[in-house]
Amino acid sequence: MAVSGDATQHSGRAADDGDGTSSKTANYRSVFDIIGPVMIGPSSSHTAGVVAIGRVVNEVFRDEPETIVVDYYESFAQTHQGHGTDFAIVGGVLGFATDDRRNENSLEIARRRGIHVSFVEKEGDSPVGHPNTAIVSVSNSRRSVQVVGVSIGGGVAQIKRIVVDGFDVRPRGTLPMLLLRGHDSDNQELGEKLRGVCLIGDVRSFGGQDTDERMYEYDLDSPLTQRMVEDVVHGDDRIFYLR
Amino acid sequence: MYLTIAELVEDAERRQLPVCELMIRQEIERSHEPREAVWEKMGRNLDVMQQAVADGAAGEGVHSTTGLTGGDAVKLRKYRERGRTLSGDVMMQAVQNAMACNEVNAAMGVICATPTAGSSGTIPGILFTLTDRLGLGRDQQIRFLFTAGAFGLIIANNAGIAGATGGCQAEVGSASAMGAAAAVEAAGGTPRQSAEALAIAISNLLGLICDPVAGLVELPCVKRNAIGAGNGLIAADMALAGITNKIPPDEVIGAMDDVGKNLPRKFRETGLGGLADTPTGRRLKESIFPAKKNLSAFRKTESAT
Repeated sequence: MAVSGDATQHSGRAADDGDGTSSKTANYRSVFDIIGPVMIGPSSSHTAGVVAIGRVVNEVFRDEPETIVVDYYESFAQTHQGHGTDFAIVGGVLGFATDDRRNENSLEIARRRGIHVSFVEKEGDSPVGHPNTAIVSVSNSRRSVQVVGVSIGGGVAQIKRIVVDGFDVRPRGTLPMLLLRGHDSDNQELGEKLRGVCLIGDVRSFGGQDTDERMYEYDLDSPLTQRMVEDVVHGDDRIFYLR
Repeated sequence: MYLTIAELVEDAERRQLPVCELMIRQEIERSHEPREAVWEKMGRNLDVMQQAVADGAAGEGVHSTTGLTGGDAVKLRKYRERGRTLSGDVMMQAVQNAMACNEVNAAMGVICATPTAGSSGTIPGILFTLTDRLGLGRDQQIRFLFTAGAFGLIIANNAGIAGATGGCQAEVGSASAMGAAAAVEAAGGTPRQSAEALAIAISNLLGLICDPVAGLVELPCVKRNAIGAGNGLIAADMALAGITNKIPPDEVIGAMDDVGKNLPRKFRETGLGGLADTPTGRRLKESIFPAKKNLSAFRKTESAT
């Protein structure tokens, strides 16, 4: 892809780190990241965290896939077998939640739906420098999406790269986040709607290929309330809510 | 939010509040959920832990599909009934609870990750033993989990909790430290004593590698949770006795991060080192995954591009 991964920073909608005691980034923010999630064994990195990566793919792709290709790196390449990682990541791509028992049968469900699934154990280092790295590529005749995710432990995932519709988004990584496709006026409008929502860092944007639109990245401090989801996210197909 | 143990302890002392209360308030502020919702959610996590601990030790116990683990919690239950344990019944109850919960995890049952699934037996091991020992009610058990979570968040954000990045010290080590700190608070200790218990618990497990046989969360993970629970209780008792770690907790967490970063990859959840790389470990892997290439037609190995 000839698209630059460089992000543009947008000032004016910055957020601090809670009480401002430190500027260090917190990968884990909720007590339930630590005491939780409730899940099916045996490994939170290899199942719950991977379902989360798959669900991001599902949210961005928003269509029935024809093929799903998963590239595993490092620890994932060595140990995905027997951990249920394959079931978990495909379950996530199909839109299942972490504690959905359908995850156990996700490969069979995908097969019955005519989706071709393959797993590749890569021998080299992770391209994003994390031992639990999975690159998920999903496509059908209409479009394709690639998501680079890492499972950082305890069922928590980070998203390092999203390639969709000619955009090459390199987010900061921590979920939840909102992506908005549009122009600066759309960014201003969404900024207004999110007034009162705590953001981590400035809004950033990424240019696309053959389009004057940009993809705007909003890193959220905490999940949106149900009301916010209904008011802001639902019914607007330019917005991707990744959590 | 609290990013260091020092900040957490100082705030607890200044505001004369237990750590669990600080954690509850931080979660309410972050999630915009009412106190009852946050409280109830932790209550449901507690219920899952209780169920796992009970299931793992009931009847003939639970067994994983590979046959590598299962039934050991039941053996401990029967052994305890004979009343002649060497280290006393409290310690063996903690070990039984920890192993029961992790056997359920290995058998792909439902557990609560604390902080991870691989280390999910350690905190229930400590908690439900103290429930009997100290007569903790349901509210106190939920508070225990908030305290453990408060300390765990700081460990996770400063060192990490994944075996793949930090080894077993990051999983069972973290769980043991969280449980030790929460045990001190449940027993009436001070926030500073909780922090000392955390520092002692991590210090004692520093450098513990992650070496799962066949890459599965079974061997030695189930027994590592036993040591996590035992170590947590020992560290809590030491702190309650007034013993300090000398090296401050935040520095101990920093050391754990440094050790984890310097562990060779074979010791970070790849199933390629330690017990996994013994003759027996390799043989078990071969018997569980005979000729990997035949297992799945669509799985293939590629060189890096």
